[in-house]
Amino acid sequence: MTRPAALGKHLARLWGLVLLAGVVSLAWQLRDGLPSDTRLTALLPQDRQNPLLERADARLGRAFEDRFVLLLDAPALPRATADLAERLSAADGGRLLTRLDWRDVDFADSDPAAVLGPYRYRLLTPSLRQAIEQDGGTSLVQPALARLFSPGGDPEPVADPFGLLDRWLAQQDDSPVSSWQGLLTVRDRDGTRRSLLIGRLADTPYAPSAQQALTRALRAFEAAHPDARLLHSGLIFHAAGGARQARHEITTIGLGAFLALIVILLAVFRSPRTLLALLLPLAGGLLVATPLTLALFGRLHLLTLAFGASLIGVAIDYALHLQCERAVQGRRFHLRPLLPGLALGLVSSLAAYLALALAPMPGLRQMALFAAAGLAGAWLTGVLWLPRLALPVHPATARIAARWWSLTTPRRTLAPGWLAVAALILLGVTAGRLTADDSLRLLNPSSSARLAEERRVQSLLGRDTGSRYFLVTADDEPALLERLAELGQRLDTASADGLTIGYRNLADHVPPPRIQDANLAAVRRLYGEPLATLVERAGLPGSVIAKARATLDSVPRLDVATWLDAPAGTADRRLWLGPVTADDGTTRLAATLVLNGVDSAAEGRRLAALADARPDVCYVDRVARLSRLLGELRRHVSLWVGLALALLTAGLVLRYRRQAWRVVTPALGALLGTLAVYAVAGVPLNVFSQLGMLLVLGIGLDAGIFSAEHARRPATWLAVSLSTLTSVLAFGLLAFSATPALHYLGLTCLIGLTLVGLLVPWVRPAPPRIKERPHGEPCPAR
Amino acid sequence: MRLFVLLMLGLLSSPALAFDLADLQHRLGDTQGLSGRFVQTRHLADLDTDLESRGHFTYQRGKRVVWALEQPVEDRQVFTPADARAADDAPGDTGDDRRRRQIAALLLNLLDGDWQALERRFSLTLSGDATAWQVALAPRQAALRERLAEVTLAGGRYVERLRLETADGDTLTVRFSDLQPLAGSDP
Repeated sequence: MTRPAALGKHLARLWGLVLLAGVVSLAWQLRDGLPSDTRLTALLPQDRQNPLLERADARLGRAFEDRFVLLLDAPALPRATADLAERLSAADGGRLLTRLDWRDVDFADSDPAAVLGPYRYRLLTPSLRQAIEQDGGTSLVQPALARLFSPGGDPEPVADPFGLLDRWLAQQDDSPVSSWQGLLTVRDRDGTRRSLLIGRLADTPYAPSAQQALTRALRAFEAAHPDARLLHSGLIFHAAGGARQARHEITTIGLGAFLALIVILLAVFRSPRTLLALLLPLAGGLLVATPLTLALFGRLHLLTLAFGASLIGVAIDYALHLQCERAVQGRRFHLRPLLPGLALGLVSSLAAYLALALAPMPGLRQMALFAAAGLAGAWLTGVLWLPRLALPVHPATARIAARWWSLTTPRRTLAPGWLAVAALILLGVTAGRLTADDSLRLLNPSSSARLAEERRVQSLLGRDTGSRYFLVTADDEPALLERLAELGQRLDTASADGLTIGYRNLADHVPPPRIQDANLAAVRRLYGEPLATLVERAGLPGSVIAKARATLDSVPRLDVATWLDAPAGTADRRLWLGPVTADDGTTRLAATLVLNGVDSAAEGRRLAALADARPDVCYVDRVARLSRLLGELRRHVSLWVGLALALLTAGLVLRYRRQAWRVVTPALGALLGTLAVYAVAGVPLNVFSQLGMLLVLGIGLDAGIFSAEHARRPATWLAVSLSTLTSVLAFGLLAFSATPALHYLGLTCLIGLTLVGLLVPWVRPAPPRIKERPHGEPCPAR
Repeated sequence: MRLFVLLMLGLLSSPALAFDLADLQHRLGDTQGLSGRFVQTRHLADLDTDLESRGHFTYQRGKRVVWALEQPVEDRQVFTPADARAADDAPGDTGDDRRRRQIAALLLNLLDGDWQALERRFSLTLSGDATAWQVALAPRQAALRERLAEVTLAGGRYVERLRLETADGDTLTVRFSDLQPLAGSDP
């Protein structure tokens, strides 16, 4: 045995051990499932993240995850609503929901006075406080008397002779939901009345069984009431839509691409064993990349996983080159002549991905590390193992290679000058017209129709989406409530001045201690002369006065915890962030003030200015913030890839001298072509199309390098064609996905990889004269 | 508890000649208007005191209900269908307005003969005969039972007495007299 052969054997064994270690550590890391992360902000550097903002976002976003809302418009509304409620309650054998509110009595199941009663003397509506300030409360005697003698009232002459708590509670209830014929209903501006059903799921909204049970119940209802119209809102509808879409796409796009791939590879290599061997490098790549990334980052971001899976396209390249060469060369196959090309291909792709690792964004770093480790693993598996595997070689492969070569070799080659002109024109088109889009829609797989319906329901219910808010912090609870109350006043002033927004403020429900004390003082005034007058005119026993006054002796202050525990306060829980640790290690309290109806950028600027003017108040526009992050991510990707490209080109010029243009044209031409197509078609560029371009770059460079290294070899061209085709099938077809992120990744791959395939024959070194030979004979070596 | 005035007013308009609720419900739509006087006694158990008030009322089907207190305080409440319609169209108004409108909405449901709305909250039992009948209403929801023990209505041609007992022992009794169908409204 020669020394290099023995070395190869040792290395292959060693590599086997490395992969085994990968399997073991991966099994250990995945013992509790894959630690994954979907937060977009997790892709950002630590110092750019604001943990408090993250918490506020999560709190406001997650509050209603397990709930859904249906608005029903039907001719016989009470009957149709009852039928729908019955179907929902019975869904999945009654296991779908833990609760369904649809009757007006469903909302009145607990007496708010029971919890808030002791605090009532510190809670006054502004109009009551004003009335007491004006005349000591004399004007309140008459309404209190009427209340006492009205048949409808529930007077409490001792506890609350003036009905303060009722007034206060009535003011807290600002919902547009009203009761009508025993139903909960809302009306839109046209006067259409819809009944409201609020369900709480027993399971998570992502559970397929829950999604199916709900969908079935709603379908059956719609079939029974053809003229009923439903509006849906809730995560479960989006999740169900997304799951349906994913299932549909997996069965059409995914399965179709997979079958086509198998058919093509089988047609070329005619051996299932070869097919499996081609997948070996991919497995090797994943076994290196996943444990390494998990070990370094702790968790895998879903974007990394999505993009990492696209390694398939590049990783399989090496195996294809080896196998095509082997099929064509037969017994004369040696690895050595292929190594420079393979190595250069790896280095160029590694350079492109590692450039990303230099970007100051942990998310990109993770993606880059995953891709680079995966590629290296795949390359080593391919080079060390594949040649040692005894794989059947079918003569058809060589025949196909020869015919494909003669079929696709153009009679002329392109002059670099023409290419330069074309490139300049494309560059001009791109620079002039290309736009970018960083909107969050890219991350949202829901259809725009469903999103519009969601917004409609939210606005009919007068709810905010929690996407715009003020984040307020303070050292203690009184200061925080004070700050919130002051902010509320500013907003009221701005509203009076033409700012058309609404808001929900914790301090409206839990007034700051200063105001609670002032309220109590006002109530003490009211319980002076006015109370005596009331008791006398009502003909109540005089002892009532002393008893009523005694209730004011020790009135507790309403604090946030008590309010949030009260039935009326549960809706405010999402506004309360509680104790947070600030940068300097001190503990502070934080709460949000959620805005709605902010429709214009001008309104947003006004609100931001309001926050900027005061310390510890910060205006957050969640959508704009995340869009900005997406944009930042996109710009970083293009910057670093551009740099890598420039360096690579310089490196390639060193090796190939005047022929370097042949190497870079497929990759650069495909990128430029794709950009120009987008520019002309008006498709904006986004971070996902850029990730697709990275893939095009990797495969394009490989194609260029192999074509230049092994010019005039049909085997190389076959390998390049197969690698391009498999990638187009694996990723290009994602262009037909309805999920925006996948669609853009796929579209870029589809256009870019097609261009790579088209460009290679035109720029590879001049074709050799192919002598007429009997079919099946290997092509002449260089 | 404000529900019960509505309930009471709703039943006022029912000529109680029939003995099942379906019939009662059917008849409910017949009376176009009614007027009369009332005496209301509220017994406050913890103070062992009675609050007594008197006044008059008129009800015109589809137009309005007027509940006029005369003694010891003058107060007049008018509920119209417009109030009911406005009930959910004015999110910005004050709590009192809003509650009033909700009362109006419920009230008119009752007056328009929506017994289903009542049955959702109470189980109804009818006893006696056409000249002296009694309806007992027992709250269905536990939350309502915590506040309200029992409601009874009694009457002959029209409702003559309503009694309402809360869980804490207070009672509200309303006696009606001089009941007259409004001119031109009875067949």
